Amino acid sequence: MNVHTTTGGFGHLIEDRRVHRTLYTDHSIFNLEMSRIFGGTWTFLAHASELPNPNDFVRKRLGLRPIIVTRDREGKFHGLLNRCTHRGATICRQDEGNARRFTCPYHNWSFTNTGELAAVPMEDGYGPSFDKSELGLGKLRVESYRGFIFGTFNNDLPDLKIHLGPAAALLDEWLDRWPGAELQLRRGQHKLMCAGNWKLIYDNAADGYHPGFSHASLLRMRKDRYGGGVDMQWALGNVDDGLQTVSDSGNGGTFIDQRAEITRYWDQSAPMPGEDTYARVIRERLGEKGEAALDVVMGSGMNLNIFPNLLIIGNQIQVLEPQSVNQTHINWYATALVADDLPDEVNSLRMRLQEDFPSFGEPDDLANFEECQAGLEIEEVAWVQTGRHLDTGREYIGAKGMLTGPVSDELPLRVFWQEWLKRMEYGNAWVAK
Amino acid sequence: MNITTDPMQGGFTLEDILRDTLDSTYIDDAYYAKLRNDMVEWEGKGTLLSEAERHVYEALIIEENWLLDRRAFERWYQLYSRKCVYWVPAVGDLPDPVRSDPQRQVTIAFDDRRRLGDRIVWLRTGVAYSQLPPSYTSHISTAFVRMPSENKSEVKVRSQFLIQEMRAGHEIQTFSGWMGHVFVEEDGITKIDRKVVCLLDAPRSHHNMTFLL
Repeated sequence: MNVHTTTGGFGHLIEDRRVHRTLYTDHSIFNLEMSRIFGGTWTFLAHASELPNPNDFVRKRLGLRPIIVTRDREGKFHGLLNRCTHRGATICRQDEGNARRFTCPYHNWSFTNTGELAAVPMEDGYGPSFDKSELGLGKLRVESYRGFIFGTFNNDLPDLKIHLGPAAALLDEWLDRWPGAELQLRRGQHKLMCAGNWKLIYDNAADGYHPGFSHASLLRMRKDRYGGGVDMQWALGNVDDGLQTVSDSGNGGTFIDQRAEITRYWDQSAPMPGEDTYARVIRERLGEKGEAALDVVMGSGMNLNIFPNLLIIGNQIQVLEPQSVNQTHINWYATALVADDLPDEVNSLRMRLQEDFPSFGEPDDLANFEECQAGLEIEEVAWVQTGRHLDTGREYIGAKGMLTGPVSDELPLRVFWQEWLKRMEYGNAWVAK
Repeated sequence: MNITTDPMQGGFTLEDILRDTLDSTYIDDAYYAKLRNDMVEWEGKGTLLSEAERHVYEALIIEENWLLDRRAFERWYQLYSRKCVYWVPAVGDLPDPVRSDPQRQVTIAFDDRRRLGDRIVWLRTGVAYSQLPPSYTSHISTAFVRMPSENKSEVKVRSQFLIQEMRAGHEIQTFSGWMGHVFVEEDGITKIDRKVVCLLDAPRSHHNMTFLL
């Protein structure tokens, strides 16, 4: 088959039960993704707790574009393109801070944190037709849902909450494990690098087929050290006979639900330094409620993936930052839960638990993704399989009206590619406001 | 379980680790406070090691480096005390007791004795795909100085390091920065009680840091 990847559409690369390898290896497709997908749909930018005070900002990326996410003095969030409208230099060169204005170091054009051009040195040199109001920073359409800030250039999309669909209610469930608790980032990150295409990581985030195999080292270590009973027991045996499910959570979003396999979160948790001490302290302090507090140390039993770049897994928030067609950065933001009625010892444990999977789990996956990238470069074997459970009659309409299947179902791949195709064929007809 | 009979291991095997502690009882508020205080003390002005100190502490760090480079993890593990920590902060520009506080911040590695054991058992499973092929390292330590410390029963030594890591099929990676070693006497033997590895590029993205620093 003659595959044209640079002209025409992409439909011929995506079939019912397989997709073409060039989707992972073609530079021109990657470049189009960076403009049409990242920013072409509601794309995760930052979490509100990263910029808690008026005039706080964080520097991020939207695809390959440098951006600034700001909170203005009224508390409203803005997504600004980090590009001076004068000659193109980035105006913000710090990862985070507090600023009412950003001044370009090159010629000192100065912009407010809402993106307006405020001042230009020796302005009269531009003559009478010069209009500062036309030279504000490029702006994204920005909305947030429960602290998760998203941005897009696409004005045809519905409001964020409608766009999120069932994912909004799932996010509620993820956030409300300890009612009233505030989720805080700024607790450090695991920044991982993978010599693989960004979609290999998204593919994996709802892959309930791989854990018993790709994570053999973690499972074997736990068994050799602790015997049975702790952590990820649901990955063993024929997982499709178990209680985990995988679902289509809308607009390319996917969801693994492990919760039915977890009878007692704390008892099924991975080991963590400080466990015995702090469990005792928490139980002493809270009495009966201590067990519930210990349960929120452990991950949620949910993998909630919001297209195209936000993977909420366990207690962590992973953000995909593609660098090139075969290079991806994955930022794992650690999270804390803060509430008056929740002892901070819970977070002393959460920090340690959130080091477990990045140490003993994720590196093996990343190694496998890199080997996928190497294999996918082979021209003569062109296709990647996506058809598992497509015709076994195991899919059904489950909770929240989501199409749901057994956990090894490759439904998430099919859901992803459907949305991917839609966004790629929609094009990039927009410009920054 | 594959029990190694490597002469490098000095008679220690994975069984020794599997039989070691399965509890995590000593990491508590006081321990974290000690680590914060360490961070303050690492900032101090060190003095060059005396000849006698070199023979004990510098020699032990050189021995540690050698065992790591020879992948003699079971023997390396026995260099550490019963209440040890192996700590790799994820923030740069250290020392800084606030930004590096491991009680509030996730780290690249924070291993008590149990997790350190887990890490070695994990490396030895033979199915850790991130270590197939395995990493080989070359650790170089230099600029050893003894740090002033409040606690007279411990010895603090700071040093600079350069580590190169090679896995077949991958480019050689280079890591640098400074380390702090806290030594204690345990049953008449000098052991490493706490080791902190402060990477120059700690806040950057890393590629497969599954080997030991």
